[in-house]
Amino acid sequence: MSWIRRSWTPEAADEWTKEDYIGMVLSVISYLGIAIGVPLAFFGWLGLVILGVAVAALLLMYYVVDPKLKAISSEYEKRQKRYLEELDKSVRWED
Amino acid sequence: MNEFPVHEYFGFEVAFEAIDWTWLVLFLLVMVGCGVLFYRLGKRSEADFFLAGRGLPWYLPAASVYATHTATDTPIWVGGVIYEHGLRGIWITFFSAWCAISALVSTRIFRRSLAYSQAEWQSLRFGGLGAELLRGWLAGWQIFMNMFILGWVGIAMGKVCNLAFGWPEWVGLVLFSSICAVYVLSAGYWGVVMADLQQGIIAFLAIVIVSAWGIAAAGGPANIAQWLANNGQDWRLNPFAFTGLFGGEFPFAWFFTLIFMALLAGFGMGTYIDWYAESQRIQSARTVRDASYSIWSGSALVLLRNGIWAVAILGFFILYPNIVGDFAAFSGQTVEAAGEQAKGVYEVGWFVLGFKVLPVGLLGFFFAAIVAIHFSTISTHLNLGAMYATRDIYHHYIDPGASERRLVWVGRISTLILLLGSFVYGLMMESITSWLIFAIWIMSAGIWLPSLLQVIWWRFNAWGYLSAWIANLGMSWLVVWILPAYGILAGLEDYHRFWILMALGIVVYLPATFLTRPERMDNLVRFYVMSRPIGWWGPVRREAERRGLLGAEPGQAAQEVMR
Repeated sequence: MSWIRRSWTPEAADEWTKEDYIGMVLSVISYLGIAIGVPLAFFGWLGLVILGVAVAALLLMYYVVDPKLKAISSEYEKRQKRYLEELDKSVRWED
Repeated sequence: MNEFPVHEYFGFEVAFEAIDWTWLVLFLLVMVGCGVLFYRLGKRSEADFFLAGRGLPWYLPAASVYATHTATDTPIWVGGVIYEHGLRGIWITFFSAWCAISALVSTRIFRRSLAYSQAEWQSLRFGGLGAELLRGWLAGWQIFMNMFILGWVGIAMGKVCNLAFGWPEWVGLVLFSSICAVYVLSAGYWGVVMADLQQGIIAFLAIVIVSAWGIAAAGGPANIAQWLANNGQDWRLNPFAFTGLFGGEFPFAWFFTLIFMALLAGFGMGTYIDWYAESQRIQSARTVRDASYSIWSGSALVLLRNGIWAVAILGFFILYPNIVGDFAAFSGQTVEAAGEQAKGVYEVGWFVLGFKVLPVGLLGFFFAAIVAIHFSTISTHLNLGAMYATRDIYHHYIDPGASERRLVWVGRISTLILLLGSFVYGLMMESITSWLIFAIWIMSAGIWLPSLLQVIWWRFNAWGYLSAWIANLGMSWLVVWILPAYGILAGLEDYHRFWILMALGIVVYLPATFLTRPERMDNLVRFYVMSRPIGWWGPVRREAERRGLLGAEPGQAAQEVMR
């Protein structure tokens, strides 16, 4: 899946890209699959298949979005300390 | 419900043996012990008392998301929906799926803002007087709503204790909420989240065990399916058993509205009432990645839980298929007239399964799990309401220079006030349930779209959002209560009201937005660089690029943004 980017610079990871949108679609598929797959799995193979699709969508979502989330997180942690120091000042009404 | 002989009808009495009491006492000791254990961490600062120092790995907030949204009234609600609608009722419980997209969008944006609360976020996203009015309004609203939820969930515990032991309802309300408050007062959010981990595990185990026992008592899944088919009820096994496009008990239009609301809500903040508790968990996660995974997995567990419950309730249905008819016969009403009142009987189906089928020993574990379910929700809303009172009211408006020690004490006093207020609300809940439903409408209908717009559209300003809230108050009142009383818009389904309120709101907040100035560009740029929101932010992005704030070294960018 070379069209899925898995190596990110902090600047590139900050942008909303196709990996985010693919992740959202997979996430929705996974949730829908869990919601109906779990009860239906008690009653036959169809539920198990739906549950299998939900798990596959979850794993794919992880594959697609995790490298980007890692890049965002590591970059943001460098800014966070400074932002936190200034948080109270920036939301103060007097300012 | 009060006069209907529930125990005789379902054929059970709860008789605790010594081993059952041992389970319960041990569990209570562990919970309260948690407070003592994390007392030193909780009292260090405001950030510790309300966000556990923003340092939690993903699985702790995830467990908290799951545990918080498994309240004493949740099996009552899910049980009622599935008993009435079968598996298509799953879609009514599907609203927690807003986290599918939120985990990757609004969670990421909110975590980067570093706001303690949604009220504080308003003053980061917007500026000036409008932002302050929004912050004050949301803080007040959240203090009120948390007290309300505490009363609602508390009295649900009172009803369960009444069902199990015959205690007056106020005993269950006051006793268990007070015990729970001990560790919330001691350790704040540290106590909440650590207890939630244990409570989440215990609650999940109990749900699996009781449901499995209940399904077995109904003869297993094959027997349930066979019984439903033999009795012309096999539609109950079909999640897509719609009654037409627009008509009947469960039309496709209702399903579409539920899916539309749930999934797109993840682009916004405050689109569902759950967001306010989730946002605290998001901010307590140690990184953006941990926040995303915590929200995703906690809500996935909620959906998994609903699925297991649904099968158990189908089992309960085949054991007691004619509750409404029996209730009608008992009360001398027609089946149609008895419908709403009979709901109170079948809604407790999952509890009945537990109390009826579990053996001695497991009965105590089951009740301990009910207490766990109760504690996890009570503790969250005690701490959450106290956070709005402390951070957004006291710290922001009354004493901005307060010491960390003082802020922690204000947090504790606020917690105590919320607890006492919840007793008052809980005891008058029967008469105000319709008010609460109205309040929830206010949260989710007319304010749904503006809550999205504030995240995805740079031009939407504080006055637009504020006017949406005000308009929604009036219009909800009109559409839900006043006009139907005069025969106008009467007989509407909830999903009709959702679309009407959404459309009416647009007529107010779009003109309000365009007739007032955009937010100050300095404010918008700061918000954009910190949070990197999704959607239509072109002019703000170009300004941030012009100022050299995108792509700069992290430390330098942070300095420039805050300058």
